[in-house]
Amino acid sequence: MIKYLATIWETVTTLLTGMGVTWRHMVAIRRDNVTLQYPEERWPRPERDIGFDHNKYNVIRSRLHVDIDDCIGCLKCERVCPVDCIKIDTVKVLNRGADIPNIRHKGITSFGTKKALVVTRFDIDMTECCYCNLCVYPCPEECIYMTGGPNAEKHDIDYEFSEYDRNDLIYRFAKKVSDEDVTNATTETQEVTD
Amino acid sequence: MTVDQLIDWFPISATWPGLTFLLAVLICAVPVFLFIAVYALVVIYGELKISSFMQDKVGPMGQGVGLHAWRWGLLQPVADALKLILKEDIIPASADKKLFILAPFIVFIGAFIAFSALPFSQTLIIADMNIGVFYILAVSSLGVIGLIMAGWSSNNKWSLYGAMRSAAQIISYEIPAALSIIAVIMLTSTMSMQGIIQYQSGFIWGFLPNWLIFNNPFTFVAFFIFFISGVAECNRTPFDIPEAESELVAGAFTEYSGMRYAFFFLSEYANMFVVAGVAATAFLGGWQSPIPGIFNSPAWGLWWFMSKTMFLIFVMIWFRWTFPRLRVDQLMSACWKGFTPIALVNIFGVGIWYLTLG
Repeated sequence: MIKYLATIWETVTTLLTGMGVTWRHMVAIRRDNVTLQYPEERWPRPERDIGFDHNKYNVIRSRLHVDIDDCIGCLKCERVCPVDCIKIDTVKVLNRGADIPNIRHKGITSFGTKKALVVTRFDIDMTECCYCNLCVYPCPEECIYMTGGPNAEKHDIDYEFSEYDRNDLIYRFAKKVSDEDVTNATTETQEVTD
Repeated sequence: MTVDQLIDWFPISATWPGLTFLLAVLICAVPVFLFIAVYALVVIYGELKISSFMQDKVGPMGQGVGLHAWRWGLLQPVADALKLILKEDIIPASADKKLFILAPFIVFIGAFIAFSALPFSQTLIIADMNIGVFYILAVSSLGVIGLIMAGWSSNNKWSLYGAMRSAAQIISYEIPAALSIIAVIMLTSTMSMQGIIQYQSGFIWGFLPNWLIFNNPFTFVAFFIFFISGVAECNRTPFDIPEAESELVAGAFTEYSGMRYAFFFLSEYANMFVVAGVAATAFLGGWQSPIPGIFNSPAWGLWWFMSKTMFLIFVMIWFRWTFPRLRVDQLMSACWKGFTPIALVNIFGVGIWYLTLG
Protein backbone atom coordinates (compact mmCIF):
# COMPACT_ATOMS: atom_id res chain seq x y z
CA MET A 1 0.00 0.00 0.00
CA ILE A 2 2.86 2.36 0.92
CA LYS A 3 4.60 1.40 -2.32
CA TYR A 4 1.41 2.01 -4.28
CA LEU A 5 0.99 5.49 -2.83
CA ALA A 6 4.70 6.21 -3.25
CA THR A 7 4.44 5.31 -6.94
CA ILE A 8 1.48 7.65 -7.34
CA TRP A 9 3.33 10.42 -5.53
CA GLU A 10 6.41 9.93 -7.73
CA THR A 11 4.25 9.92 -10.87
CA VAL A 12 2.49 13.14 -9.93
CA THR A 13 5.64 14.99 -8.91
CA THR A 14 7.62 13.95 -11.98
CA LEU A 15 4.75 14.84 -14.30
CA LEU A 16 4.49 18.25 -12.65
CA THR A 17 8.24 18.73 -13.04
CA GLY A 18 7.94 18.00 -16.74
CA MET A 19 5.05 20.41 -17.09
CA GLY A 20 7.09 23.02 -15.28
CA VAL A 21 9.90 22.63 -17.80
CA THR A 22 7.61 23.14 -20.80
CA TRP A 23 5.87 26.05 -19.06
CA ARG A 24 9.16 27.81 -18.43
CA HIS A 25 10.15 27.35 -22.06
CA MET A 26 6.76 28.64 -23.22
CA VAL A 27 6.80 31.84 -21.17
CA ALA A 28 10.45 32.54 -21.98
CA ILE A 29 10.00 32.12 -25.74
CA ARG A 30 11.44 35.56 -26.47
CA ARG A 31 14.67 34.60 -24.73
CA ASP A 32 14.92 30.97 -25.82
CA ASN A 33 13.69 31.23 -29.39
CA VAL A 34 16.07 29.47 -31.77
CA THR A 35 14.26 30.10 -35.05
CA LEU A 36 15.82 32.60 -37.41
CA GLN A 37 13.02 33.87 -39.64
CA TYR A 38 15.32 33.93 -42.57
CA PRO A 39 14.21 36.47 -45.15
CA GLU A 40 13.21 38.94 -42.44
CA GLU A 41 16.08 38.23 -40.06
CA ARG A 42 19.68 37.28 -40.80
CA TRP A 43 22.60 36.19 -38.74
CA PRO A 44 25.12 38.97 -38.35
CA ARG A 45 28.13 38.13 -40.49
CA PRO A 46 31.04 37.14 -38.28
CA GLU A 47 34.11 39.36 -38.26
CA ARG A 48 36.68 38.29 -40.79
CA ASP A 49 40.30 37.94 -39.79
CA ILE A 50 42.24 36.66 -42.79
CA GLY A 51 45.68 38.03 -41.97
CA PHE A 52 45.32 41.31 -43.81
CA ASP A 53 42.87 44.14 -44.13
CA HIS A 54 40.29 42.54 -46.36
CA ASN A 55 38.70 45.87 -47.11
CA LYS A 56 41.67 46.64 -49.35
CA TYR A 57 41.32 43.51 -51.43
CA ASN A 58 38.38 42.35 -53.43
CA VAL A 59 38.17 39.00 -51.72
CA ILE A 60 34.39 38.74 -51.63
CA ARG A 61 32.86 37.37 -54.78
CA SER A 62 29.27 38.05 -53.93
CA ARG A 63 27.28 39.46 -56.86
CA LEU A 64 28.20 41.64 -59.78
CA HIS A 65 26.86 45.14 -59.77
CA VAL A 66 27.16 47.85 -62.39
CA ASP A 67 26.95 51.56 -61.75
CA ILE A 68 25.42 52.24 -65.16
CA ASP A 69 25.97 56.01 -64.99
CA ASP A 70 29.72 55.38 -65.02
CA CYS A 71 29.68 52.78 -67.82
CA ILE A 72 31.19 54.01 -71.07
CA GLY A 73 30.19 50.93 -73.03
CA CYS A 74 33.76 49.80 -73.85
CA LEU A 75 32.72 46.11 -73.91
CA LYS A 76 35.93 45.01 -72.14
CA CYS A 77 33.97 43.10 -69.52
CA GLU A 78 31.81 41.44 -72.14
CA ARG A 79 34.87 40.26 -74.05
CA VAL A 80 36.76 38.99 -71.04
CA CYS A 81 33.85 37.02 -69.59
CA PRO A 82 34.74 33.32 -69.93
CA VAL A 83 31.12 32.18 -69.91
CA ASP A 84 29.66 35.05 -71.96
CA CYS A 85 27.13 36.00 -69.35
CA ILE A 86 27.42 39.76 -69.97
CA LYS A 87 25.49 41.24 -72.88
CA ILE A 88 25.96 44.91 -73.79
CA ASP A 89 24.32 46.97 -76.53
CA THR A 90 25.34 50.54 -77.20
CA VAL A 91 24.17 53.42 -79.39
CA LYS A 92 26.36 56.32 -80.41
CA VAL A 93 25.43 59.73 -79.08
CA LEU A 94 25.34 62.96 -81.08
CA ASN A 95 27.28 65.20 -78.74
CA ARG A 96 29.99 63.47 -76.77
CA GLY A 97 29.75 64.20 -73.08
CA ALA A 98 26.31 65.78 -73.17
CA ASP A 99 23.50 64.74 -70.85
CA ILE A 100 20.34 63.45 -72.53
CA PRO A 101 17.62 63.94 -69.92
CA ASN A 102 14.71 62.19 -71.63
CA ILE A 103 16.55 58.84 -71.60
CA ARG A 104 18.27 59.71 -68.29
CA HIS A 105 21.72 59.46 -69.88
CA LYS A 106 24.61 61.07 -67.98
CA GLY A 107 27.30 62.49 -70.25
CA ILE A 108 30.31 62.45 -67.93
CA THR A 109 31.41 59.60 -65.65
CA SER A 110 32.59 60.06 -62.11
CA PHE A 111 36.16 59.67 -63.41
CA GLY A 112 35.58 62.63 -65.77
CA THR A 113 35.42 60.68 -68.99
CA LYS A 114 33.10 62.04 -71.65
CA LYS A 115 30.81 59.24 -72.80
CA ALA A 116 30.45 58.59 -76.52
CA LEU A 117 27.92 55.80 -76.22
CA VAL A 118 24.54 55.23 -74.64
CA VAL A 119 24.37 51.80 -73.01
CA THR A 120 20.91 50.56 -73.97
CA ARG A 121 21.37 47.05 -72.64
CA PHE A 122 23.65 45.74 -69.93
CA ASP A 123 22.49 42.28 -68.87
CA ILE A 124 24.36 39.96 -66.56
CA ASP A 125 22.96 36.44 -66.37
CA MET A 126 23.75 35.42 -62.81
CA THR A 127 22.76 31.82 -63.54
CA GLU A 128 25.76 31.62 -65.84
CA CYS A 129 28.17 33.83 -63.92
CA CYS A 130 31.07 31.81 -62.49
CA TYR A 131 32.22 34.54 -60.07
CA CYS A 132 35.72 34.60 -61.60
CA ASN A 133 35.96 38.36 -61.06
CA LEU A 134 37.75 38.72 -64.45
CA CYS A 135 35.34 41.41 -65.67
CA VAL A 136 36.14 43.62 -62.69
CA TYR A 137 39.84 44.18 -63.45
CA PRO A 138 39.73 45.56 -67.01
CA CYS A 139 36.96 48.09 -66.35
CA PRO A 140 38.54 51.52 -66.96
CA GLU A 141 35.83 53.30 -64.98
CA GLU A 142 35.66 50.74 -62.13
CA CYS A 143 31.92 50.66 -62.60
CA ILE A 144 31.49 46.87 -62.56
CA TYR A 145 32.38 45.28 -59.27
CA MET A 146 31.44 42.63 -56.74
CA THR A 147 29.16 43.99 -54.04
CA GLY A 148 30.32 44.28 -50.44
CA GLY A 149 33.86 43.98 -49.13
CA PRO A 150 36.01 46.86 -50.38
CA ASN A 151 33.04 48.12 -52.40
CA ALA A 152 30.70 48.15 -49.41
CA GLU A 153 30.40 51.93 -49.55
CA LYS A 154 29.24 51.68 -53.17
CA HIS A 155 26.86 48.77 -52.75
CA ASP A 156 25.98 46.65 -49.72
CA ILE A 157 26.90 43.02 -49.81
CA ASP A 158 24.24 40.91 -51.47
CA TYR A 159 24.96 37.25 -51.86
CA GLU A 160 21.47 35.92 -51.21
CA PHE A 161 19.56 36.31 -54.42
CA SER A 162 16.74 33.97 -55.22
CA GLU A 163 13.90 34.35 -57.67
CA TYR A 164 10.78 32.42 -58.59
CA ASP A 165 11.63 32.54 -62.29
CA ARG A 166 15.03 31.73 -63.71
CA ASN A 167 14.72 34.68 -66.10
CA ASP A 168 14.56 37.03 -63.12
CA LEU A 169 18.17 36.12 -62.39
CA ILE A 170 19.23 38.04 -65.48
CA TYR A 171 20.08 41.39 -63.94
CA ARG A 172 19.34 44.27 -66.28
CA PHE A 173 21.39 47.28 -65.31
CA ALA A 174 20.66 49.55 -68.29
CA LYS A 175 18.14 52.33 -67.80
CA LYS A 176 14.64 51.21 -68.67
CA VAL A 177 13.80 53.42 -71.62
CA SER A 178 11.98 52.64 -74.84
CA ASP A 179 13.93 52.00 -78.04
CA GLU A 180 12.01 54.80 -79.71
CA ASP A 181 13.23 57.36 -77.19
CA VAL A 182 16.81 56.21 -77.65
CA THR A 183 16.49 56.42 -81.45
CA ASN A 184 15.02 59.90 -81.23
CA ALA A 185 17.72 61.08 -78.85
CA THR A 186 20.67 59.72 -80.78
CA THR A 187 19.83 60.44 -84.44
CA GLU A 188 20.03 63.78 -86.27
CA THR A 189 16.60 65.30 -86.42
CA GLN A 190 15.70 66.47 -89.91
CA GLU A 191 15.91 70.22 -90.04
CA VAL A 192 12.58 71.42 -91.29
CA THR A 193 13.38 73.68 -94.18
CA ASP A 194 11.15 76.27 -95.57
CA MET B 1 -32.59 29.54 -24.55
CA THR B 2 -33.35 25.85 -24.67
CA VAL B 3 -34.81 23.92 -27.56
CA ASP B 4 -38.06 23.44 -25.63
CA GLN B 5 -38.49 27.19 -25.20
CA LEU B 6 -37.76 27.61 -28.89
CA ILE B 7 -40.51 25.14 -29.81
CA ASP B 8 -43.00 26.88 -27.52
CA TRP B 9 -42.09 30.25 -28.96
CA PHE B 10 -42.89 29.25 -32.56
CA PRO B 11 -46.45 30.35 -33.49
CA ILE B 12 -46.96 27.25 -35.69
CA SER B 13 -46.09 24.77 -32.97
CA ALA B 14 -49.70 23.78 -32.36
CA THR B 15 -50.58 23.16 -35.98
CA TRP B 16 -47.41 21.51 -37.27
CA PRO B 17 -45.53 20.12 -34.27
CA GLY B 18 -43.26 17.94 -36.41
CA LEU B 19 -42.17 20.85 -38.62
CA THR B 20 -41.61 23.06 -35.59
CA PHE B 21 -39.46 20.43 -33.97
CA LEU B 22 -37.38 20.06 -37.13
CA LEU B 23 -36.95 23.83 -37.43
CA ALA B 24 -35.98 24.23 -33.80
CA VAL B 25 -33.42 21.44 -34.00
CA LEU B 26 -31.97 23.00 -37.14
CA ILE B 27 -31.78 26.42 -35.50
CA CYS B 28 -29.86 24.85 -32.62
CA ALA B 29 -27.64 22.58 -34.72
CA VAL B 30 -26.34 25.06 -37.28
CA PRO B 31 -24.82 27.53 -34.78
CA VAL B 32 -23.30 24.64 -32.84
CA PHE B 33 -21.67 23.34 -36.00
CA LEU B 34 -20.37 26.79 -36.86
CA PHE B 35 -19.14 27.19 -33.30
CA ILE B 36 -17.24 23.89 -33.50
CA ALA B 37 -15.65 24.92 -36.80
CA VAL B 38 -14.57 28.35 -35.54
CA TYR B 39 -13.46 27.00 -32.17
CA ALA B 40 -11.41 24.28 -33.92
CA LEU B 41 -9.63 26.93 -36.00
CA VAL B 42 -8.82 28.94 -32.87
CA VAL B 43 -7.59 25.91 -30.95
CA ILE B 44 -5.55 24.61 -33.88
CA TYR B 45 -3.84 28.01 -34.07
CA GLY B 46 -3.33 27.96 -30.31
CA GLU B 47 -1.93 24.46 -30.41
CA LEU B 48 0.50 25.35 -33.21
CA LYS B 49 1.73 28.37 -31.30
CA ILE B 50 1.84 26.80 -27.84
CA SER B 51 3.61 23.69 -29.09
CA SER B 52 6.16 25.82 -30.88
CA PHE B 53 6.76 28.02 -27.87
CA MET B 54 7.26 24.97 -25.67
CA GLN B 55 9.89 23.76 -28.12
CA ASP B 56 11.62 27.15 -28.37
CA LYS B 57 10.31 27.78 -31.87
CA VAL B 58 8.10 30.57 -33.16
CA GLY B 59 5.42 28.54 -34.93
CA PRO B 60 3.60 29.73 -38.03
CA MET B 61 4.62 33.28 -38.89
CA GLY B 62 4.07 33.68 -42.62
CA GLN B 63 0.31 33.45 -43.12
CA GLY B 64 -1.65 36.53 -42.32
CA VAL B 65 -2.18 40.12 -43.26
CA GLY B 66 0.24 42.98 -42.95
CA LEU B 67 3.88 43.37 -42.08
CA HIS B 68 5.86 40.37 -40.98
CA ALA B 69 6.05 41.50 -37.38
CA TRP B 70 2.26 41.79 -37.26
CA ARG B 71 1.29 38.66 -39.13
CA TRP B 72 2.00 35.99 -36.51
CA GLY B 73 0.61 33.30 -38.81
CA LEU B 74 -2.93 34.23 -37.86
CA LEU B 75 -4.43 32.75 -41.01
CA GLN B 76 -2.55 29.45 -40.70
CA PRO B 77 -5.62 27.42 -39.58
CA VAL B 78 -7.64 28.95 -42.44
CA ALA B 79 -4.93 27.86 -44.85
CA ASP B 80 -4.95 24.39 -43.26
CA ALA B 81 -8.72 24.12 -43.61
CA LEU B 82 -8.58 25.29 -47.22
CA LYS B 83 -5.88 22.72 -47.93
CA LEU B 84 -7.98 19.91 -46.42
CA ILE B 85 -11.03 20.96 -48.46
CA LEU B 86 -9.06 21.08 -51.70
CA LYS B 87 -7.34 17.74 -51.17
CA GLU B 88 -8.33 14.76 -53.27
CA ASP B 89 -10.84 12.49 -51.61
CA ILE B 90 -9.35 9.02 -51.93
CA ILE B 91 -11.24 5.81 -51.17
CA PRO B 92 -8.98 2.76 -51.32
CA ALA B 93 -10.02 0.18 -53.91
CA SER B 94 -10.19 -2.63 -51.37
CA ALA B 95 -11.99 -0.58 -48.72
CA ASP B 96 -15.48 -1.37 -47.51
CA LYS B 97 -16.89 1.65 -49.23
CA LYS B 98 -20.12 2.22 -47.31
CA LEU B 99 -18.53 1.95 -43.89
CA PHE B 100 -15.51 3.96 -45.04
CA ILE B 101 -17.73 6.87 -46.06
CA LEU B 102 -19.96 6.64 -43.02
CA ALA B 103 -17.25 6.38 -40.34
CA PRO B 104 -16.06 10.02 -40.12
CA PHE B 105 -19.63 11.24 -39.74
CA ILE B 106 -20.41 8.81 -36.93
CA VAL B 107 -17.29 9.89 -35.09
CA PHE B 108 -18.26 13.52 -35.58
CA ILE B 109 -21.87 12.98 -34.55
CA GLY B 110 -20.68 11.42 -31.30
CA ALA B 111 -18.87 14.63 -30.44
CA PHE B 112 -21.51 16.90 -31.97
CA ILE B 113 -24.60 15.73 -30.13
CA ALA B 114 -22.82 15.99 -26.77
CA PHE B 115 -22.88 19.77 -27.26
CA SER B 116 -26.64 19.78 -26.82
CA ALA B 117 -26.27 19.24 -23.05
CA LEU B 118 -23.38 21.64 -22.41
CA PRO B 119 -24.49 24.63 -20.31
CA PHE B 120 -22.79 27.61 -21.97
CA SER B 121 -24.40 30.05 -19.56
CA GLN B 122 -27.38 30.41 -17.21
CA THR B 123 -29.79 30.64 -20.14
CA LEU B 124 -27.82 29.24 -23.05
CA ILE B 125 -28.21 25.48 -23.13
CA ILE B 126 -29.84 23.53 -25.92
CA ALA B 127 -31.48 20.90 -23.74
CA ASP B 128 -31.23 20.93 -19.95
CA MET B 129 -32.00 17.25 -19.51
CA ASN B 130 -32.43 15.75 -16.07
CA ILE B 131 -29.89 13.12 -17.14
CA GLY B 132 -27.44 15.60 -18.70
CA VAL B 133 -24.14 14.15 -17.45
CA PHE B 134 -25.29 10.61 -18.14
CA TYR B 135 -26.31 11.61 -21.66
CA ILE B 136 -22.91 13.18 -22.39
CA LEU B 137 -21.04 10.17 -21.04
CA ALA B 138 -23.22 7.91 -23.15
CA VAL B 139 -23.01 9.73 -26.47
CA SER B 140 -19.32 10.50 -26.21
CA SER B 141 -18.62 6.76 -26.41
CA LEU B 142 -20.47 6.66 -29.72
CA GLY B 143 -17.25 7.76 -31.40
CA VAL B 144 -15.73 4.35 -30.72
CA ILE B 145 -18.15 2.75 -33.19
CA GLY B 146 -17.06 5.19 -35.86
CA LEU B 147 -13.39 4.58 -35.11
CA ILE B 148 -13.81 0.81 -35.36
CA MET B 149 -15.76 1.28 -38.60
CA ALA B 150 -12.96 3.43 -39.96
CA GLY B 151 -10.30 0.95 -38.93
CA TRP B 152 -12.15 -2.06 -40.25
CA SER B 153 -13.29 -0.58 -43.54
CA SER B 154 -9.88 0.82 -44.43
CA ASN B 155 -8.66 -2.75 -44.95
CA ASN B 156 -5.26 -1.81 -43.61
CA LYS B 157 -3.36 -3.31 -40.71
CA TRP B 158 -2.38 0.04 -39.22
CA SER B 159 -5.97 1.21 -39.29
CA LEU B 160 -7.24 -1.96 -37.66
CA TYR B 161 -4.57 -1.86 -34.96
CA GLY B 162 -5.41 1.76 -34.26
CA ALA B 163 -9.14 1.05 -34.13
CA MET B 164 -8.75 -1.90 -31.76
CA ARG B 165 -6.45 0.09 -29.52
CA SER B 166 -8.78 3.07 -29.42
CA ALA B 167 -11.74 0.84 -28.64
CA ALA B 168 -9.88 -0.77 -25.75
CA GLN B 169 -8.67 2.60 -24.52
CA ILE B 170 -11.92 4.55 -24.74
CA ILE B 171 -14.02 1.80 -23.15
CA SER B 172 -11.47 1.41 -20.33
CA TYR B 173 -11.26 5.10 -19.57
CA GLU B 174 -15.03 5.51 -19.60
CA ILE B 175 -15.04 3.69 -16.26
CA PRO B 176 -12.86 6.02 -14.13
CA ALA B 177 -14.49 9.01 -15.84
CA ALA B 178 -17.98 7.81 -14.97
CA LEU B 179 -16.97 6.79 -11.43
CA SER B 180 -15.48 10.21 -10.70
CA ILE B 181 -18.64 11.85 -12.06
CA ILE B 182 -20.66 9.65 -9.67
CA ALA B 183 -18.82 11.34 -6.78
CA VAL B 184 -20.14 14.65 -8.09
CA ILE B 185 -23.67 13.38 -8.56
CA MET B 186 -23.69 12.04 -4.99
CA LEU B 187 -23.12 15.55 -3.68
CA THR B 188 -25.39 17.45 -6.06
CA SER B 189 -28.16 14.80 -6.12
CA THR B 190 -28.92 15.75 -9.72
CA MET B 191 -27.62 14.76 -13.14
CA SER B 192 -28.89 17.93 -14.82
CA MET B 193 -25.97 20.06 -15.94
CA GLN B 194 -27.64 23.28 -14.77
CA GLY B 195 -28.50 21.61 -11.46
CA ILE B 196 -24.87 20.64 -10.90
CA ILE B 197 -23.76 24.22 -11.55
CA GLN B 198 -26.47 25.72 -9.34
CA TYR B 199 -25.21 23.53 -6.51
CA GLN B 200 -21.82 25.22 -6.80
CA SER B 201 -22.93 28.77 -5.96
CA GLY B 202 -21.72 30.71 -2.93
CA PHE B 203 -18.62 30.25 -0.82
CA ILE B 204 -16.96 27.28 0.82
CA TRP B 205 -14.35 27.33 3.59
CA GLY B 206 -15.16 31.01 3.95
CA PHE B 207 -13.21 32.34 0.99
CA LEU B 208 -13.15 29.81 -1.86
CA PRO B 209 -15.95 29.64 -4.43
CA ASN B 210 -18.10 26.60 -3.76
CA TRP B 211 -16.80 24.67 -6.73
CA LEU B 212 -16.84 20.93 -6.35
CA ILE B 213 -13.08 20.71 -6.85
CA PHE B 214 -12.72 22.63 -3.56
CA ASN B 215 -15.60 20.86 -1.83
CA ASN B 216 -13.56 18.09 -0.24
CA PRO B 217 -10.31 16.21 -0.86
CA PHE B 218 -12.11 13.38 -2.65
CA THR B 219 -13.72 15.59 -5.29
CA PHE B 220 -10.35 17.31 -5.71
CA VAL B 221 -8.86 13.95 -6.68
CA ALA B 222 -11.94 13.08 -8.73
CA PHE B 223 -11.43 16.17 -10.88
CA PHE B 224 -7.97 15.03 -11.93
CA ILE B 225 -9.15 11.47 -12.55
CA PHE B 226 -12.02 12.72 -14.69
CA PHE B 227 -9.88 15.16 -16.60
CA ILE B 228 -7.08 12.71 -17.34
CA SER B 229 -9.57 10.01 -18.33
CA GLY B 230 -11.19 12.59 -20.58
CA VAL B 231 -7.86 13.33 -22.23
CA ALA B 232 -7.51 9.58 -22.79
CA GLU B 233 -11.02 9.41 -24.28
CA CYS B 234 -10.07 12.15 -26.74
CA ASN B 235 -7.15 9.98 -27.90
CA ARG B 236 -4.76 12.80 -27.22
CA THR B 237 -1.12 12.53 -26.25
CA PRO B 238 0.09 11.03 -23.90
CA PHE B 239 -2.79 8.60 -24.53
CA ASP B 240 -2.63 8.72 -28.32
CA ILE B 241 -1.70 5.11 -28.96
CA PRO B 242 -4.66 4.70 -31.38
CA GLU B 243 -3.02 7.10 -33.81
CA ALA B 244 0.57 6.85 -32.63
CA GLU B 245 2.33 8.43 -35.60
CA SER B 246 5.64 6.72 -35.01
CA GLU B 247 4.12 3.24 -34.79
CA LEU B 248 0.84 3.18 -36.70
CA VAL B 249 1.23 5.91 -39.35
CA ALA B 250 -2.07 7.56 -38.36
CA GLY B 251 -3.99 4.72 -36.77
CA ALA B 252 -7.58 4.46 -37.88
CA PHE B 253 -7.20 7.56 -40.07
CA THR B 254 -4.35 6.18 -42.19
CA GLU B 255 -6.38 5.77 -45.37
CA TYR B 256 -8.39 8.97 -45.00
CA SER B 257 -7.66 12.18 -46.82
CA GLY B 258 -9.21 15.53 -47.48
CA MET B 259 -12.56 16.39 -45.96
CA ARG B 260 -13.08 12.99 -44.34
CA TYR B 261 -9.79 13.31 -42.48
CA ALA B 262 -10.79 16.85 -41.54
CA PHE B 263 -13.94 15.48 -39.93
CA PHE B 264 -11.90 13.15 -37.71
CA PHE B 265 -9.74 16.09 -36.81
CA LEU B 266 -12.75 18.27 -36.11
CA SER B 267 -14.34 15.61 -33.92
CA GLU B 268 -11.12 15.25 -31.93
CA TYR B 269 -11.22 18.96 -31.16
CA ALA B 270 -14.96 18.87 -30.50
CA ASN B 271 -14.39 15.97 -28.08
CA MET B 272 -11.77 18.03 -26.31
CA PHE B 273 -14.31 20.79 -25.85
CA VAL B 274 -16.92 18.37 -24.52
CA VAL B 275 -14.50 16.85 -22.01
CA ALA B 276 -13.23 20.25 -20.92
CA GLY B 277 -16.79 21.55 -20.75
CA VAL B 278 -18.01 18.69 -18.58
CA ALA B 279 -14.95 19.00 -16.33
CA ALA B 280 -15.56 22.74 -16.01
CA THR B 281 -19.25 22.16 -15.30
CA ALA B 282 -18.89 19.35 -12.84
CA PHE B 283 -15.84 20.53 -10.91
CA LEU B 284 -15.04 24.15 -11.73
CA GLY B 285 -18.47 25.70 -11.33
CA GLY B 286 -19.40 26.03 -15.00
CA TRP B 287 -20.72 29.52 -15.53
CA GLN B 288 -20.30 30.47 -11.87
CA SER B 289 -18.04 33.46 -11.31
CA PRO B 290 -14.82 32.78 -9.38
CA ILE B 291 -15.89 35.55 -6.99
CA PRO B 292 -19.40 34.45 -5.99
CA GLY B 293 -22.04 37.14 -6.11
CA ILE B 294 -20.51 39.45 -8.72
CA PHE B 295 -20.09 39.05 -12.49
CA ASN B 296 -22.88 36.48 -12.49
CA SER B 297 -25.09 37.72 -15.35
CA PRO B 298 -25.76 35.29 -18.24
CA ALA B 299 -23.23 37.11 -20.47
CA TRP B 300 -20.57 36.84 -17.80
CA GLY B 301 -21.65 33.23 -17.36
CA LEU B 302 -20.76 32.55 -20.99
CA TRP B 303 -17.41 34.23 -20.44
CA TRP B 304 -16.64 32.20 -17.30
CA PHE B 305 -17.69 28.91 -18.90
CA MET B 306 -15.64 29.57 -22.01
CA SER B 307 -12.57 30.71 -20.09
CA LYS B 308 -12.65 27.68 -17.81
CA THR B 309 -13.14 25.34 -20.77
CA MET B 310 -10.41 27.03 -22.77
CA PHE B 311 -8.05 26.84 -19.82
CA LEU B 312 -8.64 23.08 -19.57
CA ILE B 313 -8.08 22.77 -23.33
CA PHE B 314 -4.84 24.67 -22.87
CA VAL B 315 -3.87 22.15 -20.19
CA MET B 316 -4.60 19.33 -22.66
CA ILE B 317 -2.30 20.99 -25.19
CA TRP B 318 0.24 21.45 -22.41
CA PHE B 319 0.02 17.71 -21.62
CA ARG B 320 0.43 16.84 -25.25
CA TRP B 321 3.67 18.73 -25.69
CA THR B 322 5.15 17.65 -22.36
CA PHE B 323 4.54 13.95 -21.91
CA PRO B 324 5.79 11.06 -24.01
CA ARG B 325 3.27 8.52 -25.26
CA LEU B 326 2.33 5.65 -22.93
CA ARG B 327 2.88 2.08 -23.97
CA VAL B 328 -0.27 -0.04 -24.39
CA ASP B 329 0.32 -2.00 -21.18
CA GLN B 330 1.19 1.17 -19.25
CA LEU B 331 -2.01 2.75 -20.51
CA MET B 332 -4.11 -0.17 -19.36
CA SER B 333 -2.36 -0.53 -16.00
CA ALA B 334 -2.73 3.21 -15.35
CA CYS B 335 -6.46 2.88 -15.97
CA TRP B 336 -7.20 -0.39 -14.16
CA LYS B 337 -4.63 -0.26 -11.37
CA GLY B 338 -4.49 3.50 -10.89
CA PHE B 339 -7.56 5.49 -11.81
CA THR B 340 -10.30 2.93 -11.31
CA PRO B 341 -9.40 1.92 -7.70
CA ILE B 342 -8.84 5.54 -6.71
CA ALA B 343 -12.16 6.53 -8.27
CA LEU B 344 -13.90 3.76 -6.34
CA VAL B 345 -12.27 4.84 -3.07
CA ASN B 346 -13.37 8.38 -3.93
CA ILE B 347 -17.00 7.33 -4.06
CA PHE B 348 -16.81 5.89 -0.54
CA GLY B 349 -14.83 8.89 0.64
CA VAL B 350 -17.37 11.34 -0.70
CA GLY B 351 -20.18 9.31 0.88
CA ILE B 352 -18.50 9.29 4.29
CA TRP B 353 -17.63 12.97 4.00
CA TYR B 354 -21.21 13.81 3.06
CA LEU B 355 -22.63 11.84 5.98
CA THR B 356 -20.21 13.09 8.64
CA LEU B 357 -19.24 16.62 7.63
CA GLY B 358 -21.64 17.66 4.87
